[in-house]
Amino acid sequence: MISFFRRHRSREDFASEIEAHLDLEVDRLVADGWSRDRARQEALRAFGNVALARERFYEKSRWVWLEQAAQDLRYAWRTLRQSPSFFATTVLTLMVGIGVTTVAFTVFNAYVLRPYAVRTPSSLYQISWRSPTSGGVGFRWRDYLELNDRRDLFDDVVAETSRFVSSDGQPLAAVLVSGNYFEALGPRILLGRAFTAADDDAVVVISHQAWRRQFASAPDVIGKEIALNGRHFTIVGVLRPEFTGLGGFPQDLWVPLSVYAPIADPDLIGPQQARTLELVARIREGVSPDQVKARLSSFIQHAVEAPTGEQPQAFIEPATRNSLSLQMLAVLSPVFAAFVLVLVTACANVSNVMLARGVSRQREIAMRLSLGASRGRVVRQLFTEGLLISLFAGLGAVAFASVALRAMVAAFFGTLPPAVAGILRLVPLDLDYRVFVFTMTASMTATVMFALIPALQASRLSLIDNVRGTGASMRHGSKLRHALVIGQVAVSLILVTLAVTLARNGAAVGSIDLGYQSAGVISINVRGNQDDLIRHLVPVLAADPRVAEVAATGGNPLFIRTRSVAAAPGEGSPARPVRYTFVAPEYFSILRVPIVQGRGFRTDEARLAASVAIVSSATAKTYWPGVDPIGKTIRIERAEGRPVDELPGYTQLTVIGTAPDVVSGLVVDGADPGHIYLPITADDPHATAALVRGRTPRDLDPQTLQTIFGRVAKDPQVFEALPLDEMRDLQIYPLRAASWVGFLLGALALGLSVSGLYGVLIYTVNQRTREIGIRVALGATGTAVVRLIVSQSARLAAIGAGIGLVAAGGSLKALSSVVQLQTISLLDATAFAAGVVLVVGAAALAAYQPARRATRIDPSQALRADV
Amino acid sequence: MSTRDRDRLPLMQGTLDVLILRILIFGPQHGQGIARAIKESSDHELLVEHGALYPALQRLEEKGWIAAKWGTSSNNRKARFYSLTRTGRERLVRESTKWRRLAAAMSRVLGPETEPR
Repeated sequence: MISFFRRHRSREDFASEIEAHLDLEVDRLVADGWSRDRARQEALRAFGNVALARERFYEKSRWVWLEQAAQDLRYAWRTLRQSPSFFATTVLTLMVGIGVTTVAFTVFNAYVLRPYAVRTPSSLYQISWRSPTSGGVGFRWRDYLELNDRRDLFDDVVAETSRFVSSDGQPLAAVLVSGNYFEALGPRILLGRAFTAADDDAVVVISHQAWRRQFASAPDVIGKEIALNGRHFTIVGVLRPEFTGLGGFPQDLWVPLSVYAPIADPDLIGPQQARTLELVARIREGVSPDQVKARLSSFIQHAVEAPTGEQPQAFIEPATRNSLSLQMLAVLSPVFAAFVLVLVTACANVSNVMLARGVSRQREIAMRLSLGASRGRVVRQLFTEGLLISLFAGLGAVAFASVALRAMVAAFFGTLPPAVAGILRLVPLDLDYRVFVFTMTASMTATVMFALIPALQASRLSLIDNVRGTGASMRHGSKLRHALVIGQVAVSLILVTLAVTLARNGAAVGSIDLGYQSAGVISINVRGNQDDLIRHLVPVLAADPRVAEVAATGGNPLFIRTRSVAAAPGEGSPARPVRYTFVAPEYFSILRVPIVQGRGFRTDEARLAASVAIVSSATAKTYWPGVDPIGKTIRIERAEGRPVDELPGYTQLTVIGTAPDVVSGLVVDGADPGHIYLPITADDPHATAALVRGRTPRDLDPQTLQTIFGRVAKDPQVFEALPLDEMRDLQIYPLRAASWVGFLLGALALGLSVSGLYGVLIYTVNQRTREIGIRVALGATGTAVVRLIVSQSARLAAIGAGIGLVAAGGSLKALSSVVQLQTISLLDATAFAAGVVLVVGAAALAAYQPARRATRIDPSQALRADV
Repeated sequence: MSTRDRDRLPLMQGTLDVLILRILIFGPQHGQGIARAIKESSDHELLVEHGALYPALQRLEEKGWIAAKWGTSSNNRKARFYSLTRTGRERLVRESTKWRRLAAAMSRVLGPETEPR
């Protein structure tokens, strides 16, 4: 209580108390018979040092800390201004290190940490169902209407389904939503308004990204029209950038389901309601998800179609976009580690510079210590300098990250296959307060690591050692500095080796022979569940004059949709899983795959889905080694607990031909270990995709294809057209991108270690000037002096490279036991050699200038110098 | 320092606090009064540098053992008066017990006075 009400005393108050004391004492002494003058002298004598008493009081006061901090800050600023090159080097080095980490964190933040930009996201739950063997998230419009009336459980229920729509041939990511969507979720609007359940006009709300991309952020966009699948919609609102929809994929626009449904395929609110709507509910306060689950059981029974004999159950899970799981952290941590390694290298550099500076400032520090500064005060001073550097570095890092992110996004979209870049959306990579806090914390932590430790190091010195300018502490310091450089070299070797490994693997995978001619062939898949649209599309394509060839398939190569079935060569032999694909007879000619033995499928075989097969050379070889496979039979077994599919209606297949081995799945997996082709036509229910080749490569541009698709479906974007070559690029893209990032990080780390090594060597030359001078005076040649410096550089680099090699080898070996892919070799001798060559080159580069300086030492001057 | 002061005992570390608290048990007093009271009640044996008294008072005040208020002295001068708080009183009891035990133990160890002063 007392301390709560106590007001802090001012210095004036304290001074007047002392004055009062002196007056009282004088009064007393005068009363004892002293003269006033002598009494005053005596009072002052008895008091002792008035100034000291005031000083003590002052140092107790709480403001002194702040005042000293301000002093330290001013002093630090002056000191740093006096050595601008030191200041610039450390700030820039840290800026890059922290900036790189900030980039990684921003992406992590955007995809994982950032919550939904809606009202109370924690009360939003997605409703789905599960049964022992099945499950789903799709519901009908009438199910939505029923649930939305359940006020006992929910505040609101919204329905949404997303799809791509065509806007003048360009794909846009659209969400068809129930009218209450915006009222229920409450995302913030930037311009105009959101639509409500009362809107039954053709209106649309667009995302901030779409506004920027499609309308160049035009402020007068409200009221403008946008064509969606040929119909005109009026833009009524633009959302703020932080809301990109409820899923992980950022959306471009939102349209009322009730308005869009009649032009959709199939009609979502008409008599035939497809189960495609996803339901997100805001659960009432006080109602638990388990209660909802229990009370929705009868609803689920009649709303969904579970396999016969199974009881579907409601499933209620938070509708949060990404939940941070340990598993995800485990996957992401090595990636983040690579970024942090660069920061560590940068910190090591700064620490090194700081140490060198600390040593050269020993005399200054010694002077301050001997003039009465406390050790704590000196440390605080050095710490303040570090803090100032970290402040600038942190702000610089934010700027660096913002520029780097923009460049990275541009590079990302620039290097992606065009067809993919057109439909890919990234969540906004904003530098929000979380990123800012992260960056500043990283910066401060780095300060403690690189500034405080050298500060302690510097102030640990005894006075005598300092004034002499020599001592054990310096030797200790240089040991630490060497360790730092060795660490840097090791880190850059790891990163460079990793980058080269990735790049070489990317190139190797890129040059794998697919076994067919992918150039000019466009793959067409159907989005959603309307596979039967292929049957309508193929004849339209075949009739188009711009189309040279078209083939329906049960799954296009490279799209990772191949399936396996248990098959055996004839009676008696065991069945093994083997890939199969349904293909139209034109499949082989469109891909320029020759039939090696036997013949291709005939049209009548395709029409009847006859039990004939073309097998790949590998299959022929494994099934019938050394024997002509034509006319042999393949027995199809029923799947019994095996990881293969059922193939109803097929028991025996007669081999009529063989085709070469091709790559049909992941390019990194290489050619198929076996493959069986079965004949179909576009009318077959197994036909789910198509391949098409234009008369010339330019005949079938995206615009043309959209027009053709529009003849078949109301939603032309229901077809996804992607050139096979781009699909191949897309598959290799992660490898390439990872190697680019690795190269960038490796180059940064390498640059940092060169400058770190350089710093150590220059420092050595300065410290050993006198020694080198003596050597030269005693007849040492220039070569001998150069050898002195170069050998130090080489020794540090060699130890660092050794550690780096072991670490890189160890981690890649561990990784290769996890990643078992034929075409990927993680332990690549060339990559290691390249890493070593680069590091050795870096060591030589770093040694060049210091060695030159050493040879220029003039013995007569060096010996006279005051060391 | 005068010869008179040189004969006096300098204060041991930590003793000043107890002395201040002890003096204040008789009622509020200002700094000069406290200094004089210490001197007088110790038969002029203890030397308190007045300058050291004030930081000590400040410290005790911050600990909440004493409270301070500006007032007027008997001879009509403005002075800052210190008084004991409840925590200060408890503290004094504890500290003085400790000091008494220490003093008793010390004199037991040192034994009866062998050399006349």
